[in-house]
Amino acid sequence: MKKHTSRPQHFAFVCPRFSDQTTVGGAETLLRRLAEHTAANGHQVTILTTCARDHFTWRNEIPPGEKKFGQVHVVFFPVDENRNVETFLRIQDRISRNIPVCDAEEKAWINNSVNSPALYEHLRSRPDIYDVIVTGPYLFGVTHAVSRIYPARTLLLPCLHDEPFAYLKITRALFQRTAGILFNSRPEMELAQRIYGVSDQRCRVVGMGLDPFTPDPEPFRKRFRVPTPFVLYSGRREPLKGTPLLIAYLQTFRERTSRNVHLVFTGSGPLDIPPGGTTWITDCGVLPENLKRSAMAAATVFCHPSTLESLGIVVLEAWLAQTPVLVNAGSAVLREHCRNANGGLWFRFYPEFEEALLRLLDDPHLRSALAAAGRSYVESRFSWDEIMRRFFDGVADLLQQPALPEVRP
Amino acid sequence: MNKDLFTIGAKEIDAARIMAEIEASVQQKIASGAYDDARIARAERTNLAAFASQDEFVGFYLRCLRDAVSVDIGDYEIHERRSFLAPLLVSLKKIIWKLLKFYTYRLWSQQNEVNALLLTAVENMEEKYERRLRDIERRLDELSGKQDSGPPPESSEKIDGAK
Repeated sequence: MKKHTSRPQHFAFVCPRFSDQTTVGGAETLLRRLAEHTAANGHQVTILTTCARDHFTWRNEIPPGEKKFGQVHVVFFPVDENRNVETFLRIQDRISRNIPVCDAEEKAWINNSVNSPALYEHLRSRPDIYDVIVTGPYLFGVTHAVSRIYPARTLLLPCLHDEPFAYLKITRALFQRTAGILFNSRPEMELAQRIYGVSDQRCRVVGMGLDPFTPDPEPFRKRFRVPTPFVLYSGRREPLKGTPLLIAYLQTFRERTSRNVHLVFTGSGPLDIPPGGTTWITDCGVLPENLKRSAMAAATVFCHPSTLESLGIVVLEAWLAQTPVLVNAGSAVLREHCRNANGGLWFRFYPEFEEALLRLLDDPHLRSALAAAGRSYVESRFSWDEIMRRFFDGVADLLQQPALPEVRP
Repeated sequence: MNKDLFTIGAKEIDAARIMAEIEASVQQKIASGAYDDARIARAERTNLAAFASQDEFVGFYLRCLRDAVSVDIGDYEIHERRSFLAPLLVSLKKIIWKLLKFYTYRLWSQQNEVNALLLTAVENMEEKYERRLRDIERRLDELSGKQDSGPPPESSEKIDGAK
């Protein structure tokens, strides 16, 4: 790998969870991969994270302390167990339903989110250790608190979505106080500029690199024997990710068109399978990375029904597996990927889903052409060399910018 | 499947053009009533986020809802999958259905009435607000048109006079 900067620096990457496997969220995977590649470029890298594994319970499962993973030091700190989960969930429910909350409630929500006083104390007691602090995603107490400690050398990696939480005053303050913001995509940056009015000078689009692989559908076919054609979804299964929509749409599609199309899920989270759905829905659960890629290669179409994406890693992976995608047009990020890559189609509502899926199922040449264009898009724009060039350029530019005065919500 | 076989011509693919074709085809089918289907209304319940972002979705959803609003409370053919004692079981089911129908019919028909009234109210509200919005947009266009073609502001008259 090429080295991109001359002076070695000490980077701290702060994220709510860490795993060297694929069992954490996309944002945390992104931070880990950026950290690994930063270390590979000759910099000293420490990941500061919590002892939690489960993003529902946030129980301290990993022993606190330091561990080394490859070239990266990871320090685990306990999550504050005194947080008031009831208050947190009550306010979170109101925010997510767009019910206005007052400043005190916003503060109570973030204070009772995932926090780690031990992690903050570690940072405070080492004012001269870290040259650059990269933290995210924006929804967690850890990110908000860390951004207050050394805002002038903190870069936010928000993974921002157009959702009610993005419109809180504390979120606006977070975007205003850090030295700069690293986005995953242009539509994500435009969303932040629209909501918070952040200037171009404080924003950089970086994203995440992906390592190309040779698609091999056989291991998945042998293990699961799913009949073709099938539509695949990989990732967290929850209403915010659009999985109920995908099930409802495919059920309607099967009824209206009499096509025997199967639906395969990989990933974690509950699935609400309709009566009779077990005959055409296969839940593979969390798969090892190679088997997940194999599933992508075996799929006829990869569908991403989520509207809340800042990068859409699985779509990029599906293209590397040479499979075309069908995405929810409600996500500007996914739609832009498809438009720029010419690697997939999109839908706004059921009729467009039906029409687009029929085209994809009936035209193997179209599927292959879209898949090939998608793969070449990922290879050219999401190579690690390209991503790290953008990252280091962004860090150098943004840390020369004067930080705005701290805004306390 | 060897996907490399089909990579020729990948450069010419234009997703935006294909989507424009799909959208045109969907519009035609919507106009012809091809999607007026209670099953679509049910599926779209999970896509209500589209209400906030897409104007045309509301009209489409209401048309689907019109098809789904009336619960079918009529008699239907009663089957029995088990062959053993099938005639007896069918007769038993018919008796149960008739007994139930006696007092559920009134409930379901009232529910259908409520559904229809609610849908009509929502449709009327949608129509009303759409009309209002159109009026406001027209008025805005008129006002901005007047501003563009109106007399030049005072300061520029003075500059002209100075010439």
